[in-house]
Amino acid sequence: MAAGPGLGAEELDLLEKSLGLTKGNKYGVQGERKTPVLQTNSGPSLTGLTTIATHLVKQAKKEQLLGSNAEEKAIVRQWLEYRVTQIDGQSNKDDIRIILKDLNLYLEDKVYVTGNNFTLADILMYYGLHSIIADLTVQEKEKYLNVSRWFNHIQHYPGVRQHLSNIVFIKNRLYTNVH
Amino acid sequence: MGFGDLRSAAGLQHLNDFLADKSYIEGYVPSQADIAVFEAVAIPPAGELFHALRWYNHIKSYEKQKASLPGVKKALGKYGPADVEDTTGSAGTDSKDDDDIDLFGSDEEEESEEAKRLREERLAQYASKKAKKPALVAKSSLLLDVKPWDDETDMGKLEECVRSIQADGLIWGSSKLVPVGYGIKKLQIQCVVEDDKVGTDLLEERITAFEDYVQSMDVAAFNKI
Repeated sequence: MAAGPGLGAEELDLLEKSLGLTKGNKYGVQGERKTPVLQTNSGPSLTGLTTIATHLVKQAKKEQLLGSNAEEKAIVRQWLEYRVTQIDGQSNKDDIRIILKDLNLYLEDKVYVTGNNFTLADILMYYGLHSIIADLTVQEKEKYLNVSRWFNHIQHYPGVRQHLSNIVFIKNRLYTNVH
Repeated sequence: MGFGDLRSAAGLQHLNDFLADKSYIEGYVPSQADIAVFEAVAIPPAGELFHALRWYNHIKSYEKQKASLPGVKKALGKYGPADVEDTTGSAGTDSKDDDDIDLFGSDEEEESEEAKRLREERLAQYASKKAKKPALVAKSSLLLDVKPWDDETDMGKLEECVRSIQADGLIWGSSKLVPVGYGIKKLQIQCVVEDDKVGTDLLEERITAFEDYVQSMDVAAFNKI
């Protein structure tokens, strides 16, 4: 994959900033897929994006980002897993289309990934999809309207976007009258 | 600006279209703008209006924090798409009745005796007024969007064609050209029709008959007078 923010270590830097953590951890990488590794002061090193991300959220004392009840926690974990297993390393156009199509359907009745609350799943899904969404054409963005709306919402959520490029969404009102 | 009559299906349709690519009425956080519109929507939008329904359910989840949301409530006409007028409350009975549909209503706000009496008086007044003029012809005010083929279509000629349509019970009103992008403008024209004599189907048929100029036409707003 290209040097998109999908790459673990870089993305964790972004996450630290958006969580308001100022210390700045140093990350190593491991293996062919460049899995990020964090060496903590106190215990064993942590491996893998979602493990470290969860750790950072707890460090920042923003546990509500992991879900506020059992169901929400499960949904957050499910989408973090989806992010790592399905979206990362995805370069096949057809597979990306399927991901966007499913996600579009899923987000139809939701404002955030878990429904009504902003969580870590939104942040990491946003980071993971950034390079994919940036490559979409205007027509495609319009086709995956619910994904676009969600994405545009998250990139404007305070603190999330950081230095990532702001992706522009225009609703082309000339062709949207096909009801 | 506005959503038409938010208590009508057409109003909710406007709301739905407006929210297709937005999470909130204004900006990227819930605000008093959402609460203002939410309170004007009397019943949850139907399932097929899923953008409106998603927003409705989301705002509903802020029920407890609604007073602490940022922003200042404005008139409904200050929100929504630029090309739709707000008519919520002007079509129904008197607008004071809006207060009865308070979805966040708490038990503390018991209607006082005085307010109750006043309301009943008004209702009686309204009923008697209504009884006096039963023979009114049902009319509707329509706002039509007529879209040309491209930026080279002569809009003056297009308007002339539209206005040349004559029918019993049809009166054309004011019109304006609204830019839609890429230099293309659409014609927005108002008309008043008598419900029994002229239907939207007839209008659509007649307007799209000018196929040299008109690409499509739809009804932007439909209000009973």
